[in-house]
Amino acid sequence: MADLSLRNIRKAYADFEVLHGIDLEISSGEFIVFVGPSGCGKSTLLRSIAGLETITSGDLIIDNERMNAVAPSKRGISMVFQSYALYPHMTVFENMAFGLRIAGTPKSEIDERVRRAAEILQLDKYLHRQPKALSGGQRQRVAIGRAIVRNPRVFLFDEPLSNLDAALRVGTRIEIAKLKRSMPDTTMIYVTHDQVEAMTLADRIVVFNDGRIEQVGTPTDLYRKPANLFVAQFIGSPAMNILKGKVVERSKTSARCLLDCGVSFETEVEPGRLSQGEAISVGIRPEDVELHDGTATDLAFTGSIDLVEHLGEVQILYLDLPDIREKFLMKAGGQSTFERMQGICFTVRRQNLHIFDSSGNAVRGER
Amino acid sequence: MNGARHAPEAERTDFLAVLAKVCLVTFLTSLGIVVLYPLLWMALNGFKTNAEIFGNPFALPSGFGVANYISAWNQGIRNYIATSVIVTVGSAICTVLISAWTAYGLTRSKLPGKPFFVGIVLGGLMLSPTVAVIPLVRMMQDLGLYNTYWALIILYTAFRIPFTTFLIRAYMLGLPRDLDEAAIMDGASERQIFWKVTLPLCKPILVSCVILHVLFAWNEYLFAMIFTSGADLQTLPVGLTSIMAKHGTNYAVVFAAMTLSALPIVITFFAAQRFFIRGLAEGIGK
Repeated sequence: MADLSLRNIRKAYADFEVLHGIDLEISSGEFIVFVGPSGCGKSTLLRSIAGLETITSGDLIIDNERMNAVAPSKRGISMVFQSYALYPHMTVFENMAFGLRIAGTPKSEIDERVRRAAEILQLDKYLHRQPKALSGGQRQRVAIGRAIVRNPRVFLFDEPLSNLDAALRVGTRIEIAKLKRSMPDTTMIYVTHDQVEAMTLADRIVVFNDGRIEQVGTPTDLYRKPANLFVAQFIGSPAMNILKGKVVERSKTSARCLLDCGVSFETEVEPGRLSQGEAISVGIRPEDVELHDGTATDLAFTGSIDLVEHLGEVQILYLDLPDIREKFLMKAGGQSTFERMQGICFTVRRQNLHIFDSSGNAVRGER
Repeated sequence: MNGARHAPEAERTDFLAVLAKVCLVTFLTSLGIVVLYPLLWMALNGFKTNAEIFGNPFALPSGFGVANYISAWNQGIRNYIATSVIVTVGSAICTVLISAWTAYGLTRSKLPGKPFFVGIVLGGLMLSPTVAVIPLVRMMQDLGLYNTYWALIILYTAFRIPFTTFLIRAYMLGLPRDLDEAAIMDGASERQIFWKVTLPLCKPILVSCVILHVLFAWNEYLFAMIFTSGADLQTLPVGLTSIMAKHGTNYAVVFAAMTLSALPIVITFFAAQRFFIRGLAEGIGK
C-alpha cells in the first residue's frame, strides 16, 4: 500500500534538462502506465522513482515520506527491467533470493517466499536452472518473481515485454494483469511505448512528451477526449487524421469553420475560445468515419482511394482528399471490396470531431 | 545444358578450396612441429645419457629411466619450483584482484576526471622495468624486502597491473549495466556488487589474466636474478642457469631440469585453455 506523489520533479544532465517539472499523484493500488515517444523522459522518471537516477529538484513522496535521498533498496520499490537483468551465473532460485540474502532474511523465510512466488509464476520446475536455460517468457517471469519476493510497496516495470515476440507478449500481458489483480494494494507503474499494453493494463495513463506530462487520464478519456493534438495523434492506431482549417464566422456561442478540403461545419464554442480567422485543426479517428452514398449534407467528405491495406477483419483505406497533401485514413469492414482510384463519399458524426485551437489545445464545443 | 556448363567451374572451385585447405593444414602442422619438437627433444634427452646425447642427438633414448629427472629434482629444482610457485601464485592473486577492483572503479564509478585516471593506469604499460631497476633495488633494500619472496611478488604485481587492468576493463565495459542496477535495487553495496555479481561474470577474463600472469612470472628472469640471491630464494629461470653453470657438462640432467621447469606451466595452460581463449576473445574483441 503506497500513495506516491511527484512534486515538480526536474532532472537535468549538466545543463540539459530532460524532465521539466513533473507533478503527479498516484493512489495506493493504482496501475499507472507511462507512455510517450522515445526520449520523452518516461524511463528517466521511472528510474528517478526507483532511485537509479538522482532527482535534480522537486520532491518524491511515498506514503508521506520524502524519498529523494533514500537508497533505492530502502524505498520499498521493486523494478522489472527491460532486459530482465537476471544474474547469469546464478540459478533461478538464487536470482530470486539474492535481495533477501543481502537483507539478511532467515534462510527458511527466503525459501518459503521464493517458492511461493515461483508457484504463482509457475516457475517451480525451473528453480535450479540458470537463466540461459530458460525461454524469454520464463526469464521475464523470473524477473517479476525477483521483484515479488521483496513484497514491494511500489512495483516498477520498464518496458518489460519489449523483448518478447508478439504471441508471448499477449500472454505475458495477461499474466501481468492477473498479477495486478492478485496484488490489489500494490501500486504499479509501467513504462511502455506500446499503446495496446497501455490501454489494456492501465487504470490511468500518463502521456509524456519532451519531458512534460501532456495528459493524465483513464484509457477511455485519453482516447475519447484528448487534451491536445499530441495526445490525439499519439493514442489510437492508426493515428487520428488531422485536417487543417480556420474559423470563418464567430458568433457568441458558436463558430463556423471551413476546412482546407472544402468542408465546412458549425460547432458550439465556449465564450473566449476561438476567434474569427483563427487557424484550427480538426481530428477524425479512422474508425469514426462512416461511408455514405453521396446523399449526406452535413460534414460530407469526398475523396479517392490511393491504397487499401487488408488486415483481415478490417481494411484501412488511404484516401486522397481535395487540396490535402497528407493521406486521410479510414477503417472499413473486411467484407467490402474497394479498388484503387475508386471515388468515395464519407461523413463523420459531429460528436466525433476533435477540434483544436491554433495552439493545439482541445476545444470542447461539442462535448 | 546449363548444369553441364557449370560443372567444370564448380570442380575448379572445389579443387582450389581443397588446395587452400591442404596448404593451411601443412602450414599449421609445420608451425606445430617447430614449436613442439624442441620441447619433445628436450624431454626425450632428459632420459638419455651424455654419451647418447652426443652420439646420436636425434635418436630416441635407449630406455626411459627417470634417474636424470630424480637427480635434477634433488639438485635444487624442488626448491626453485617451490619458490616459483609461491611467487607466481602470490603475485597472480594480488595482480588479478587489484586489477579487477581498479577496472571496476574505472568502469563503474562516477569519478570526476575518469579518463585521466584511466590514462595514468594504462600509462604504466609504457614503463620499462629495466629503467627502474636501480631505484627499485635501493627501495627494496631500505624496506628490508631485498632477497625475500615479497620483493618479487610486489614487483611482479606492480608491473603487471596496467596490462591486466587494461584487459579486465575492456571486458567489464561489455557487461550490461542493468545487472549492477538490479543488484542496487536488491540492496547490494558496491562491495557486494563487485564480489557477487561483477567478479563471477568476469571469470573468463580473470582466468586469461591469471594464465598470462603465470606465464610472465614463471619465466621472468631480470628481477628474479637481481632481487634474490641464494638457492633457497631463487626462482626457476635463475635456478636453471645455476644448474647449467654447475652441471655444464651433464647435459642429460640439465635437459631433465628444464623439462621439469616447463611442465607445470604447460599443464596449467592446457587445463585452462578453454577459458583463456574465450576471455581474450571477449575482452579484447570489444
